[in-house]
Amino acid sequence: MQDKALKTPIQTRYNQRALKDRMARYFVASGGISVIIAILLIFFYLLYVVIPMFGSAEITEGATYATPGEGKTIHLGLEEQGTIGVRFTDHGHVIFFNTDSGSIVRDESLDLPANISSISSNLDLVVLGLENGSALAVQYKFDLSYPDDVRTLTPRLEFPLGQDLLVLDESSQALTQIVIQLNEDGAGLAATTSDKRLVSARYTREESFISEEITTELTSNSELALENTIRSIALTPTLDHLYASTDKTLTDFSLDENGFDGEKTKYYFKHEITQLKLLLGGSSLMVGLANGEVQQWMSVRKDNGRELTFIRNFHANEHKNAQPVTSIATEQQRKGFAVADSKGDITLYYSTSQRTLANINTAKSSIENMAWSARAQNLLVSDNKNQLHLYKVHNEYPEVSWDVLWGKIWYEGYDEADYIWQSSASTNEFEPKFSLMPLAFGTIKAAFYAMIFAIPIAILGAIFTAQFMAPRMRQTVKPAIEIMEALPTVILGFLAGLWLAPYVETHLAGIFALLLILPAGFIFCAWLWRFVPNKSLLEGWEAMILIPVVLFLIWLSMILSSPIETLFFDGDLRMHLSNEWGLNYDQRNALVVGLIMGFAVIPTIFSIAEDALFSVPQHLVRGSLALGATRWQTMTSVVLPAASPGIFSAIMMGFGRAVGETMIVLMATGNTPLMDMSIFQGMRTLAANLAVEVPEAEVFSTHYRVLFLAALILFLFTFVFNTLAEIIRHRLRQRYSGL
Amino acid sequence: MTEAIATKIDPSILTSSSAPDDAETCMDVNKLNLFYGESQALTDISFQMKKNHVTAFIGPSGCGKSTLLRCFNRMNDLVDSVRVEGEIILDGKNIYAPDIDVTSLRQRVGMVFQKPNPFPMSILENVAYGLRLQGIKKRSLLEEKVEWALRGSALWDEVKDRLDESALGLSGGQQQRLVIARAIAIEPEILLLDEPASALDPISTLKIEELIYELKSQYTILIVTHNMQQAARVSDETAFMYMGEMIEFGKTNEIFTNPAKKQTEDYITGRYG
Repeated sequence: MQDKALKTPIQTRYNQRALKDRMARYFVASGGISVIIAILLIFFYLLYVVIPMFGSAEITEGATYATPGEGKTIHLGLEEQGTIGVRFTDHGHVIFFNTDSGSIVRDESLDLPANISSISSNLDLVVLGLENGSALAVQYKFDLSYPDDVRTLTPRLEFPLGQDLLVLDESSQALTQIVIQLNEDGAGLAATTSDKRLVSARYTREESFISEEITTELTSNSELALENTIRSIALTPTLDHLYASTDKTLTDFSLDENGFDGEKTKYYFKHEITQLKLLLGGSSLMVGLANGEVQQWMSVRKDNGRELTFIRNFHANEHKNAQPVTSIATEQQRKGFAVADSKGDITLYYSTSQRTLANINTAKSSIENMAWSARAQNLLVSDNKNQLHLYKVHNEYPEVSWDVLWGKIWYEGYDEADYIWQSSASTNEFEPKFSLMPLAFGTIKAAFYAMIFAIPIAILGAIFTAQFMAPRMRQTVKPAIEIMEALPTVILGFLAGLWLAPYVETHLAGIFALLLILPAGFIFCAWLWRFVPNKSLLEGWEAMILIPVVLFLIWLSMILSSPIETLFFDGDLRMHLSNEWGLNYDQRNALVVGLIMGFAVIPTIFSIAEDALFSVPQHLVRGSLALGATRWQTMTSVVLPAASPGIFSAIMMGFGRAVGETMIVLMATGNTPLMDMSIFQGMRTLAANLAVEVPEAEVFSTHYRVLFLAALILFLFTFVFNTLAEIIRHRLRQRYSGL
Repeated sequence: MTEAIATKIDPSILTSSSAPDDAETCMDVNKLNLFYGESQALTDISFQMKKNHVTAFIGPSGCGKSTLLRCFNRMNDLVDSVRVEGEIILDGKNIYAPDIDVTSLRQRVGMVFQKPNPFPMSILENVAYGLRLQGIKKRSLLEEKVEWALRGSALWDEVKDRLDESALGLSGGQQQRLVIARAIAIEPEILLLDEPASALDPISTLKIEELIYELKSQYTILIVTHNMQQAARVSDETAFMYMGEMIEFGKTNEIFTNPAKKQTEDYITGRYG
């Protein structure tokens, strides 16, 4: 019986309905869940790209072997990939060897007429100072070939200043220290002699097209007598400063085309200076001290000319038994460096971020020479026990730290610490500046000015539309404004950049006059309104009458713009601003962004606020009116308080949109990452920065990951704001349902 | 037929004896016509309301009794495309005259709605709302008036310890009495009650009815109700309305015991409605 009953048509239909119901439920649920999954996936992907950036560096010992070949190592070098090492010996031999095994690949003698008394290098350029006062510049190169499809490197030597010795000291004294800087048309050399003199020389260099023979010519040389023995010297790439250290003093000698110009400045240290080294690019001088500390000094513009200034120090072993710095090796493509001491401790640092990245000690004896491979993945080290150590270094993101991202950093070439975003430049020696502050600031600034413009208009508009407007007018106005939201922002940005920005620039006085003329005009109209008969017929349509008034007032302001400028601002408000107020005027500025992005945000705020206001239950409104309240009183004391969470959430939604907005700020600002709240200056926002830089960032580089971090911040920011707004709206809905 | 009525309405509950018959006229409704757009909702309504009397409007749904009630404080103005003809004289003045200030009219003619509509504020603020609108700011004066109004609406003892709590936490019956307190706080002359007990349980209904009975001494009360026993219990005069017309108006005990019109009798005895 029961089975039969189940098969009645009604029952069948019921089963079908239940099935449809279930399917709809699953469908909706899976839609919702996949949205959440998609958001989580985005979040975790961003996180996955960002996280490696904050890992520390790793250094491990790859191989250790006895020094291949004869003689004492006076200089070490590495080929780009770190597979072949090169050592210069005190006998004038250049020995190439396999870095994994230590087997000799090639041994070449330089056939020098005198013993080597000093040596230094600049990347793969090595300069040798001899006991007879002359010098030789040698460059080691590796030719790459693929015989039988095997990658083969063939080392060879080049002599960029010719194979003939350059006589640095005419009195033929031994050169105790020597440095070289090579530039496009020649080279500058400086050296100290055994009889305490400082000599410098400049050479021009010409390469014959036919024979490829190099001829060098001495253009100037000069010398200075000193009182103390110089321990270490460094020459800037611009050849205008020579830094020399004696005991605890660092002296900055100034040079011009003819050599020493007589100026020198002395700096005193607490500890003995053991090493001087220029960081990549030559702007920073690294000073190694006897207590194991390394200090970074830069030439900074001061009131009375340039001056060496202490920037930051690196002292990982401060609390340990500190040993003197015996060697500093600077990275070839970044601003990192390795510091070794007399106990065999090797520490990796990065200058910009002031990070101590890694530390290793396997040599256990004094380190004498160090060499980096080009990408800083291999570090070759020689100790005083005739051992060579090859370290593998994994150090991809040393540039980033909390301070770099959010703090003030003193960058090379700047006069003070500052928040700077400048991710790339044309040279390799560039120091990337990854401060997110200017971008976050620009984002907030753009949103702030947009909100200043949008909030009053949108909220007041919503109040009028929801509570005072005739229902028939509201039926057209509301959808019209909501359609505005669908306007592609690229069009708005286009208008802002190409039409509004130049227009605002030429009608600046008019724009500001509008702030006075518009309210004054409204008040005048309200006064005129008193004389209108039969007002009740027009009730709710007042806004319609005001439209031509607004248009007229805007037109009037624009017409008045240039007379106002002539009358009050000497004919040009922008000039007046910059002369009298010290405000610079950018054509694409926060004012333009505020206007256009405000325009883009108004529909969002208006629509949500209007909904909140309109859905305040009518019986509350009637209750208030029945008590003899005017519509305005009802508005302010019943409707607004009831709808205030909704209005707040509308503002937050609008703010979230303004923060994430890309195309308008991209096109309407100069994209200048400045930290200036001025309404007449541009800015660069996080979103616009992503749009500009992501396509050009090298995948998985630090720059790329910092951009992803910016994206993550943007994501979290808008997510938090929108979620908060949504929660408040949800609460509001619950509250209304209880009324 | 008289017996049939007697079975429905016990004459002992009729209250007409409590109000003086010779009371002065409070409001004079004269040929009132009301149109929603093209359709006419009220046709030629004319009657006089006596001061300190309770007048009940009865009639089937859609007969226009609520619309008529809303004419007295011009709440109909809020409805789009409404048009009123005729006049309602209050203190010798037509309340539909162009120079009438609607807000002060509404302060003289208070209204309580079918569904309790306390504002999302504290109990105190709800009652003080109308007073604040009139510009009373002094806290002590406000509190005094609030207590008076709450006592007047028989709610004081129930809420005196939680005046600062949200009014939304009160029960439906309490909310309705709160709304009445809110209405009487501004001391109107006339109270319009639009089915004030229809959303309430019997106990709350009883309390509201008792309250109406007490308020009568100070206010002229107009009440719309579906509950004929309620009309019989609380009112002095009753108007029966049907299809926008006032079919019969008279003393409550006469309407209920001896209606002049057959339609009235049919409605009262439950033939339709």
